[in-house]
Amino acid sequence: MSTDFSQPQRQSVVGILVLFFYSLQQYGRALWPIIVIWIFKFDEVNKMYLLLGGILVFVAIAVVSYLKYLNFTFFLDTINEEFIITEGVFNKTKTAIQLDKIQQVNINQSFVQRLIGVYELDVDTAGTNKKEGAIKAISHELALELKSRLLQNEVKKSTSEAEESHFGKSIEKQLEEEHPFIKISFLSLLKIGITSNYGRSISLLLLFLITVSDYIKKITGRDVFHDENIENYVDKNLVIQTFFIFIILLLSTVLVINLVRIVFKYYDYNITRQKGSLLLSFGLLNTKSTIIKPEKVQITTVTSNYFQKKMNILELKIRQATSGEKEERKSAIEIPGCSVSESDAILQLLFRKIPKKGVMLKPNFRKLGFSLFLSIGLPLSGFGAFGYWVMPVVFEYGYLVPIYIILVGFVQFFRFKNSRLFIDDHFIIKQSGAWDISNEIIEPTKIQAITTSQLFWHKNLNIGSITLHTAGGEISFQLGNFTTIKKYVNLWLYEIETSNSNWM
Amino acid sequence: MENFTNETIDTSQLPKFEEVQFTVLHPNYWKVTLISCFILIVFICSGMLLGLIFIKEFSEFQSELMSLTIVLIVLILLFSRIAFRKKRFAFRNHDVLFRHGIIATNTIVIPYNRIQHVALHEGLVSRYFGLAKIEIFTAGGSASNIEIPGIEKEQAENIKQLLMGKIQKQL
Repeated sequence: MSTDFSQPQRQSVVGILVLFFYSLQQYGRALWPIIVIWIFKFDEVNKMYLLLGGILVFVAIAVVSYLKYLNFTFFLDTINEEFIITEGVFNKTKTAIQLDKIQQVNINQSFVQRLIGVYELDVDTAGTNKKEGAIKAISHELALELKSRLLQNEVKKSTSEAEESHFGKSIEKQLEEEHPFIKISFLSLLKIGITSNYGRSISLLLLFLITVSDYIKKITGRDVFHDENIENYVDKNLVIQTFFIFIILLLSTVLVINLVRIVFKYYDYNITRQKGSLLLSFGLLNTKSTIIKPEKVQITTVTSNYFQKKMNILELKIRQATSGEKEERKSAIEIPGCSVSESDAILQLLFRKIPKKGVMLKPNFRKLGFSLFLSIGLPLSGFGAFGYWVMPVVFEYGYLVPIYIILVGFVQFFRFKNSRLFIDDHFIIKQSGAWDISNEIIEPTKIQAITTSQLFWHKNLNIGSITLHTAGGEISFQLGNFTTIKKYVNLWLYEIETSNSNWM
Repeated sequence: MENFTNETIDTSQLPKFEEVQFTVLHPNYWKVTLISCFILIVFICSGMLLGLIFIKEFSEFQSELMSLTIVLIVLILLFSRIAFRKKRFAFRNHDVLFRHGIIATNTIVIPYNRIQHVALHEGLVSRYFGLAKIEIFTAGGSASNIEIPGIEKEQAENIKQLLMGKIQKQL
């Protein structure tokens, strides 16, 4: 029954056709401007040349796809338990995937493949979101067989996992009784609604206002904001009053929009415990539900601002490791409006203990200088240069410059003041933000790779940056004491390398 | 923060990643880099020449354009050289280190038990010099992958085998 996969194999012979169509598609996409020009100048161009050129291109693509077919082989190395794909005509690539690491094997069929009667086999690991290995043309039986061979180890693994979960159950049951579930009340949602996402709502509102005024301008042919009639209506004494009314109106609209959005999205937010995982369901019109598995959690973010702290409320964001599509990978699960005790209960569930803020790392003051340079220095010199050489008219708005400097300066100062890295034995917490202060929590065992970085003129100052990569994103901290950073990097590496901790 | 203590491990006794002896890339890889630089330079020069021949306005600035091209070429060569000199790698018992960067020194460390899979690339030019590039993938996204170019083909094959062995042992 079994085909011998241990010898390097080519794809199905008819696969040359698939490769031909795919190459054609690829070149067609790359060369479409030229093709369009050809079509438009069809009458002017010598038809003989066109025909010859066309044939030449087709032959070249056919040769290339034949070579691609010849050079594409795959095989199962049974001794080392790995799946090896060799490909490439001039630039050769050899991809080796350990069988244990394979998460998914998908068998697909595109339109072209259906016409020809072959299938595509994709091998997916937890790594980068693109497919790690893809065989473009393979017969259905062979695909199924290869799939079962590739996933043989998976069966073994899942049985051992099942045993493990059996052991853990008795402990979990005890915990379950302590925390039956958390329900986020309507009041909490209201609190979150009026205290969060000011920036996003204001920009949405501005966008809306601009669109509406544009629309009115188009219909009536008059500019709403610079209409003389309006200026005539408004008495000079009333100018300030109307301005304030406008501001209040704007703010209340922002609040209402925020409230409605939050309530619609998160109405009736329920968190239930189920076999050690968290089950979330929420939504007013269409109820969404998601599962959080504690072992898959990579980065947990706790965010709150000044008002929210006063109201004893905060937002949680959880990023899990996914081997799925890009969008799924990017999106975080949000839990809005927990009280501190509720969030502690959730964190307790996820980490089995409440994260502690350990040793504190502060950034060097040069970080503030650099961000001030980027956010104030560069834009202002751009503004100056633009006004000086291109349009002196912009200097009429010069009175905005001090406002901008003060505003951005404050934001950058608080961002610098809040930028901290806390290191505990079991947790790394990065604090950041100007108004909304967020704490990103990761466990050292979830680290996939560590990057340290130092500019050469920072060597004597002994400051540098660190980035911790996890399967759910990365956290980085700039310009801290480099000796301390290096010490912890060595410690984390030691911890990762001496234990076989499960990061997913 | 300096008096961090831990009951079980003495952190000062831990192996230090910053003191690791790094291996530089194979000298032939500089030739590979030079060839790809040369191709780039040929493109720039031919673009410049075409511009000078066909666009009349350009001929007024002939000397400026020439010096600009020369500066560009010198910069390309200089930065390629620095980048080549600063790229280095090390394989320890439990992890792989790669150092790179022109103005910043970036060191990326991947523990073997976090490697997902390994790929071996051979470019057309590299193959002529018997060199290969190893790419090491983790689950942490593209920023946490390592690409080590300029390793002799045979050595690269050995490294790949070593890595695959290490991955396996961890499970």
